[in-house]
Amino acid sequence: MISSMSAEPSSLIYMVAGESASASITSNIFNSLLKYNKDLDLEGELAEKWEISKDQKTITFTLKPNLKWADGKPLTSADVLFTWQAVINPQTASPYASDYALVKQAETPDERTFRVTYDQAYAPALDSWAGLQVLPKHLLEGQDLHSTTFAREPVGSSYYRLGDWKHGENITLTRNPNSVLGPANIEKLVTRIIPDNSAQFLELMADNIDSMGLDPIKYSRIIPARPELKKRLNLYKELGNSYTYLGFNLKHKPFDDVRVRKAINYAIDKQEIIDGVYLGLGINIASPYKPGTRWSNPDLMPYPYNPAKAKALLKEAGFVDTDGDGILERDSKPFTFEIITNNGNKEREKTAIFIQRRLKEIGIDVSIRSIEWASFISRFIKTGDFDVVILGWGLGLDPDQFNIWHSSQQKPGQFNFIGYNNPSVDRLLEQGRTELDPDKRMKIYHKFAKVLLEDSPVVYLSAGYGLTAIHKRIQGIINPIPPAGVGYDSQKWYIPEPLRRNEISTN
Amino acid sequence: MLKYLIKRVLWMIPMLVGISLISFFIMHLAPGDITNNEAAFNPKASEESRQKLREMYNLDKPVIVQYGLWLKRMATLDFGNSFASHQKPVFWQKTDKEGNVTKGMIQEALPITLLINVLGLVITLTLAIPLGVIAARNHMGWQDKSITLFNFIGFSIPGFWLSLLLMYWLGVVNDWLPISGIHSLNYESLSTWGKIKDTLSHLMMPVIIPSITGLAGITLFIKNGMLDVLQQDYITTARAKGLNEHRVVYTHALRNALLPLITIIGLSIPGLIGGSVIAETIFAIPGMGKLFYDAVLMRDFPVVMGVLTIGAALTLIGNLLADIAYAWADPRVRRGVVRN
Amino acid sequence: MNFDLFKKTLANPLALAGFIIILCILMLALFAPVFSPYDPNEIDVKSILLAPSSMHWMGTDGLGRDVFSRMLYGGRVSLLVGLVAVGISTAIGIVLGALAGYYRGWVDTLIMRLVDIMLSIPSFFLILAVIAFLTPSIINIMIVIGLTSWMGVTRLVRAEFLSLNEREFVLASRTLGAEDFRLIFTHLLPNSLTPIIVSSVLGVASAVLLESGLSFLGLGVQPPQASWGNILTDGKEYIQFAWWLSLFPGLSILVTVLGYNLLGEGLRDALDPRSGSNK
Repeated sequence: MISSMSAEPSSLIYMVAGESASASITSNIFNSLLKYNKDLDLEGELAEKWEISKDQKTITFTLKPNLKWADGKPLTSADVLFTWQAVINPQTASPYASDYALVKQAETPDERTFRVTYDQAYAPALDSWAGLQVLPKHLLEGQDLHSTTFAREPVGSSYYRLGDWKHGENITLTRNPNSVLGPANIEKLVTRIIPDNSAQFLELMADNIDSMGLDPIKYSRIIPARPELKKRLNLYKELGNSYTYLGFNLKHKPFDDVRVRKAINYAIDKQEIIDGVYLGLGINIASPYKPGTRWSNPDLMPYPYNPAKAKALLKEAGFVDTDGDGILERDSKPFTFEIITNNGNKEREKTAIFIQRRLKEIGIDVSIRSIEWASFISRFIKTGDFDVVILGWGLGLDPDQFNIWHSSQQKPGQFNFIGYNNPSVDRLLEQGRTELDPDKRMKIYHKFAKVLLEDSPVVYLSAGYGLTAIHKRIQGIINPIPPAGVGYDSQKWYIPEPLRRNEISTN
Repeated sequence: MLKYLIKRVLWMIPMLVGISLISFFIMHLAPGDITNNEAAFNPKASEESRQKLREMYNLDKPVIVQYGLWLKRMATLDFGNSFASHQKPVFWQKTDKEGNVTKGMIQEALPITLLINVLGLVITLTLAIPLGVIAARNHMGWQDKSITLFNFIGFSIPGFWLSLLLMYWLGVVNDWLPISGIHSLNYESLSTWGKIKDTLSHLMMPVIIPSITGLAGITLFIKNGMLDVLQQDYITTARAKGLNEHRVVYTHALRNALLPLITIIGLSIPGLIGGSVIAETIFAIPGMGKLFYDAVLMRDFPVVMGVLTIGAALTLIGNLLADIAYAWADPRVRRGVVRN
Repeated sequence: MNFDLFKKTLANPLALAGFIIILCILMLALFAPVFSPYDPNEIDVKSILLAPSSMHWMGTDGLGRDVFSRMLYGGRVSLLVGLVAVGISTAIGIVLGALAGYYRGWVDTLIMRLVDIMLSIPSFFLILAVIAFLTPSIINIMIVIGLTSWMGVTRLVRAEFLSLNEREFVLASRTLGAEDFRLIFTHLLPNSLTPIIVSSVLGVASAVLLESGLSFLGLGVQPPQASWGNILTDGKEYIQFAWWLSLFPGLSILVTVLGYNLLGEGLRDALDPRSGSNK
């Protein structure tokens, strides 16, 4: 099966690379202790079972028997311990270190047992162990994870092993005969590196790649309009794991005023953005959680489009058009600001244009600037030098959003860059982290989302669908798509013999 | 001649220092640093871990110290290791304690870009020389005008647009040429001849499209050179002596008109390297242009500096070779009569 | 500029064609508000990606905006980028070239070394790096293109000055004790104006192409403002489907750049029928 990506991973040790390009390859090579099943509940992957102590501070994992690395060496609890040590090692400087640094003590009573003890109960703990890809101690001990050649020729335990990596061209994974979870059906996964999106799509049209992520226009306009593509490709649509929002810099006037934030929220027609930008392939949200999951509060309703109410709120906040130029003023200063977003994301740029138009109608003059990602983050987000930003947040499976909304997380480079400070939200976030009972946790996060919506520090714009085209020769894909996504259980996909690509091409 | 050569080579040192200064200055326009890539924006990343990265790469030292450190290493052709792909040396391969060899990024990218540009140059010259001669011999005639028009149209088309049109037409509609990449997936299993054919068919579009763009300048140059030469006394003499017109044009005149072309080719190197960014991005070719562009977006300082310096050094070497070739080909220069 | 030269240039049909093309495009861009049937930034969700019709001569884009109107306004931006960038590079080139050619000696050496250094760095790399590191905006794009393309003009002006320096009228003014400044402005500069104009005309062509290249890489003029480069880039994703999105801007760039090139070369031919393009 051949797929494509636009950027090459920098390293195939995910804990060091920390980027999506790396994850999409390493998830086929490495295993974690736990994983999410198709309904997004945790189950064992390398672990056969796990126990949580009564005081909720200790977790004991028992590994499955006879686990092996792809090179045939046994996989034991020592490897898990080694991986944990490597990740928290300051020398490794892993972006994920903070998740595992809360572990007070980790020990391996025997080859199949791994036990961690926390200072205090930590609700996202199991989620974090589902995210840690276990590395082989016997190949990495004593090496620097940043410079080791292992990052380019990794050995894992999952369905596939690295066959060949031609830099800048492709990465080939071949079936791992020692896979701890049994063999995969498809023998080879090839990921071609094609930086330009249009070139990727041309390759898909020419039947040179089997799967590709699509934008709404390709999904609902182009492919349906071309019979030869429709005949060959299956299209999949799933609710993505992220949402787009308009965030205010709460330290800048007038965004410190909740009436102004609400007014802008009312003035933006979210349905129009979903229709115009996502061609209907997105949904309106009212809380920062994936709709339909338990963490998302079903009682909350998004702000409706109501320009009259927006104008009234702005008037209340002191904004009136005194000089009759169509732009509101307060203290004889016109209400104007700049929306910034990162370039390369066409949907966000288009969204900004829609917002610009709607805000103009209620008398706010908006300009747009889209900036290349790295300088966007360092020059504007980190320094807090922005008024309003359009960005997206990825949604983890654990509801903890301490990093994003807690008032303590406002240092340069931290994620509460909008400067949100609400003591009751702080309290709820702290409670949510230590509460282990899922039902009580759910109530805490429902309440948190309600306060957040009321306060409107960001305007939720939409949660878009992930759109994928996969060639019909690939069979065994679960349909309808399970909550875990189209790629779930991809080791069970297969290509019937007559449909396989000819290996020895004639030209 | 030797003295001239030595002087030329010595001149390259201050030039390289100047180039490195300009590159370094530009690098420090960058507000971002390595810790600001996608990874750092993951909700789980902490500011301390980013601080650790900064220290690891000396990004916390003053700029002037960073420049000093860099210059010192550059003198030994050590451009350091890439920030973004932690493991890889920027320039040339390194061997670690266990004897594992890690290839350098420029080492891998440069041959591809050079191959494409050399092939492109060959094609450009094969087309430009006859076109230029025809245009000169029919100066202001219809042949001249249509050649000029054709060349300028080639020069004026935005390259990426032409590329996409041709990719669609040749790759999707007709399946004549591969669309992107430089090798087929079954490359390893091909015979030697098959491998050559495979690579050539992949390189066809990336080589020909820039050649079309580059044709205009060279053709015009040859045409003007020919016009110039054809009016010289010795050509008139040769014609007067009753020499065959064909011989006059193709041996006597062309040889002299081609001489200055050597210099032009030397000077065109930076343009070719710079122009490779867009072509390599579209055609998914892991060459110097793509390497540079990725490095710029990732704020991968050592790679940006490395590519700029190596690119400039190549130009300097190219110019030097062009001058030597010129001196070798032109007897007047060889004897040290002219040349500033 | 000298009128005879102009007449001689336009006697060449290719140059005349170039001149007419440039004139038409300049007029269209200048009077964009008069010609455009729609507001170039007016979104219409109901008419996304419509093919050309009598309502929308060049179809509509992904936000339902009228492509023809955007082309007209985009032409303004593209031409502005080209003209200002060339203005900057020509100004720098004249000053440095004049200094080098007039004073010679170490000033000349210094400036020419700088030219050599700049010429040996791939300038597209420099432009990319600077635009990516600062933020892409029309102003930055114009400045950066200007700052990286002055070397040709510098060489040209220097060469003109070196040759003019020896001419009698300059020698005469010098002996008469004319000030450097006056001498440069009243005698030397006007006499080297024609080649500068030729190189500027050609420079506009390259700058328009450069802008489209930057747009392709996502470093061009910012939305919602249109430029030919970013309309073309928006359209490239749908080149086989919404062909109108890439055909019209592609052709406009082609025709404009062609126009400038034909005129530029025509001028050069008229100036010296035998001279080469040796920059």
